[in-house]
Amino acid sequence: MALLSVDQLVTRFHTRDGVITAVDNVSFAVEPGQVLGIVGESGSGKSVACYSILGLIPSPPGRVEQGTALFGGQDLLKMTPQQLRRVRGQEIGLIFQDPMTSLNPHMTIGRQLTEPLRVHAHLSNTEAKQRAIAALEEVGIAHATQRFNSFPHEFSGGMRQRVMIAMALINRPKLLIADEPTTALDVTVQAQILQLIKNLQRDHNLSVIFISHDLGVVSEMADHVVVMQKGQVVEEGQPDAVFFRPQHPYTQQLVAALPNTAKPSVADFNAQDPVFLQVNHLCKEYKIRSGGFFKRLLTRVPAVADITFGLRRGEILGLVGESGSGKSTLGRTIVRLVEPDSGQIMLAGRDISAMSGEELRLTRRDFQIIFQDPYASLNPRLTVFDCLAEPLRVHKLVEKNQVLQRVNELMDEVGLDRRMIRKYPHEFSGGQRQRIAIARALAMRPKLIIADEPVSALDVTIQAQILKLLLHLTHKYQMAMLFISHDLAVVRYLSDRVVVMQNGKIVEEGETEALFASPQHPYTKTLLSAIPHLRRVD
Amino acid sequence: MNDLANMHYEKGRSLWQDAFSRLKNNRLALLSFAVLLLMVLLALLTPWIAPYSYEEQNLNLGASPPSMAHWLGTDVFGRDQLTRILYGSRISLMVGFIATSVALCIGVLWGTIAGYVGGRLDAFMMRFVDILYALPFTIFIILLTVVFGRSLLLLFLAIGAVEWLTMARIVRGQVLSLKHQEFIEAAVAMGFSRWRIMLRHLAPNVIGPIIIYTTLTIPSVILLESFLSFLGLGIQPPQSSWGSLISYGVETMEEYPWLLIFPALSLSLTLFALNFLGDGLRDALDPRVSKD
Repeated sequence: MALLSVDQLVTRFHTRDGVITAVDNVSFAVEPGQVLGIVGESGSGKSVACYSILGLIPSPPGRVEQGTALFGGQDLLKMTPQQLRRVRGQEIGLIFQDPMTSLNPHMTIGRQLTEPLRVHAHLSNTEAKQRAIAALEEVGIAHATQRFNSFPHEFSGGMRQRVMIAMALINRPKLLIADEPTTALDVTVQAQILQLIKNLQRDHNLSVIFISHDLGVVSEMADHVVVMQKGQVVEEGQPDAVFFRPQHPYTQQLVAALPNTAKPSVADFNAQDPVFLQVNHLCKEYKIRSGGFFKRLLTRVPAVADITFGLRRGEILGLVGESGSGKSTLGRTIVRLVEPDSGQIMLAGRDISAMSGEELRLTRRDFQIIFQDPYASLNPRLTVFDCLAEPLRVHKLVEKNQVLQRVNELMDEVGLDRRMIRKYPHEFSGGQRQRIAIARALAMRPKLIIADEPVSALDVTIQAQILKLLLHLTHKYQMAMLFISHDLAVVRYLSDRVVVMQNGKIVEEGETEALFASPQHPYTKTLLSAIPHLRRVD
Repeated sequence: MNDLANMHYEKGRSLWQDAFSRLKNNRLALLSFAVLLLMVLLALLTPWIAPYSYEEQNLNLGASPPSMAHWLGTDVFGRDQLTRILYGSRISLMVGFIATSVALCIGVLWGTIAGYVGGRLDAFMMRFVDILYALPFTIFIILLTVVFGRSLLLLFLAIGAVEWLTMARIVRGQVLSLKHQEFIEAAVAMGFSRWRIMLRHLAPNVIGPIIIYTTLTIPSVILLESFLSFLGLGIQPPQSSWGSLISYGVETMEEYPWLLIFPALSLSLTLFALNFLGDGLRDALDPRVSKD
């Protein structure tokens, strides 16, 4: 018998702009000791479905309108809030995406861990403390007794997620719901956390609902997979069947969108060309200062340490590294959003690093940057037309009467409807906004584009489209592109060459396929082995 | 080019239009807006619609309760109360709007520069604000009136010069949080000038909080003027403001209650309207309550 069986669940949100059916007639079951993977893009209703069962959706506007959720013979949807709270505390554990916001920053992790024990299991303080320390040791936190009195900010992201897991499992629940538990983590840390969840699941014969947008992660974890789109279950089955013989068009589309392959077209640059962008011995240190008026220097953090590399016209250089490796700082330093401490940036024979004032301002049209978050990188008060026309006007790139014409061309170029130019950014989806940001960068016909994680905030199907667009435009205009990403699969798909950064330094550099085939540096090897793949279990 | 000219654009809804449509659904805020509009209109038209002159005394009449000839009664000198309240509204509303504008100009400029430039300049400018905060306001105004003598203009400036402090802090905070937003960085990366970034990219994005704070400043300024007039530092007879009328009304509250009730009522009504409108604007401009 299934541990949890959800039948014909319907959840609607009654908003000012109408009724949104977030979960539409969804049924699934979790067997004891099994892992159920729920896959879907943002807005597919995968999280809402699970939160509905636990009575955790904001209400109003949300309302569970239909269905049953039998958990050990009892319908969770018919329980009183008090009963549900007991179930959540003792029988179903929850972990969320962001371990920083789901831990209380003002309480030691010890107090947060023992709280459920004292509230739900009525243990004494010493018993609770012993249980908590044992739980911390189980999730792999060294010196658990000492760390018991630490605050959440004293842990790294991966360690915080371990604490979250310990907290979720401390009352020995039968079911663990993990909502994108590794999305905010670096790939090597992600691999460790996935392994940990797998081990715990096996040791305690735990059932797990694993929610993720990442097919690779789900295929590694799940025994059974449910694919959701627009609130409905479109396909389910064994991971092998779902991912390698997908039946539903949406699943096929999801699988096809995975950037699992090598670069589709041959490099379109001439290796004999002179180097177009040359970065020499670039350094940038962050000085951590005390607060107050005098700002004493506390410590220095080298974010970019003696970086040297070159880039040709039409070439895409992938820059890979985990968070804190300095890859974003490097990108920002090259476009002079961050002042370099020393070193040289030569673009088409001109030294950008030596420029300042008006000369720098006017030269900026040659090098543009595309940011990660298309929700933050567009001015919410400007229409698309104003946003695209402004750089044209400021740099006097076209005649006044040609501005509209040029804006329309840009819209065509990035695949947006010309009729949308009077709209504001908030009326577009994430993918469309990223297209606007690309059009804006393109408006000045730059020679160099720095793309700082441009697809990391997007769903896989959208991500694939944006990558194709970037590839097409780089080749069409023979721009040089520095593509910064933490996602190795994406970098492999797009780049001609790859540079791997760790702690502000380049540790390895090479042609993409050669580097992926035989990584030399141990760090590169760790990175590559940590990527979750769609794997056939034959 | 022809097809371009004839093309139908899908017209976007700006955040302002969104906010306005939300405001339209807020009955209380709309009603408040109508009340304010009426108040301003009455104040503007006072010289033509006022039934009597504000300084014309009729000692025979004395303080008389509301009647057909004097709707809101007369004060101890037999001056028509309705007329005096109408003339008082001119002063009170003018103080409200002018002093708030003074506060707005200084505060926004000060806050934007401190926030955008940052560093030592920011620290210096904000410490200056802190020092002014620490000065007791009443003493400051008394000093000013002692040095420069009593004048309406001085009153406006003095109140404005005190009220800008909070405005500067609010604007600085907003600018600080916006400064590191990627769209500002994108503007820098595109080679836009500092002024263009401040005026076209920063300012429109801080304007929401500024408008809201403004609607909250106007009532506090009107109250300040009332308070100063109440202390005898503001408007002097025969001129009247709501504050001075209330202060006279308080003295004679027991014998002639209408002298207190009516000016107090008009002041409260205006303050309520401004506060409700401010609340409505705050809700309407808050992106968190927007549709997504």
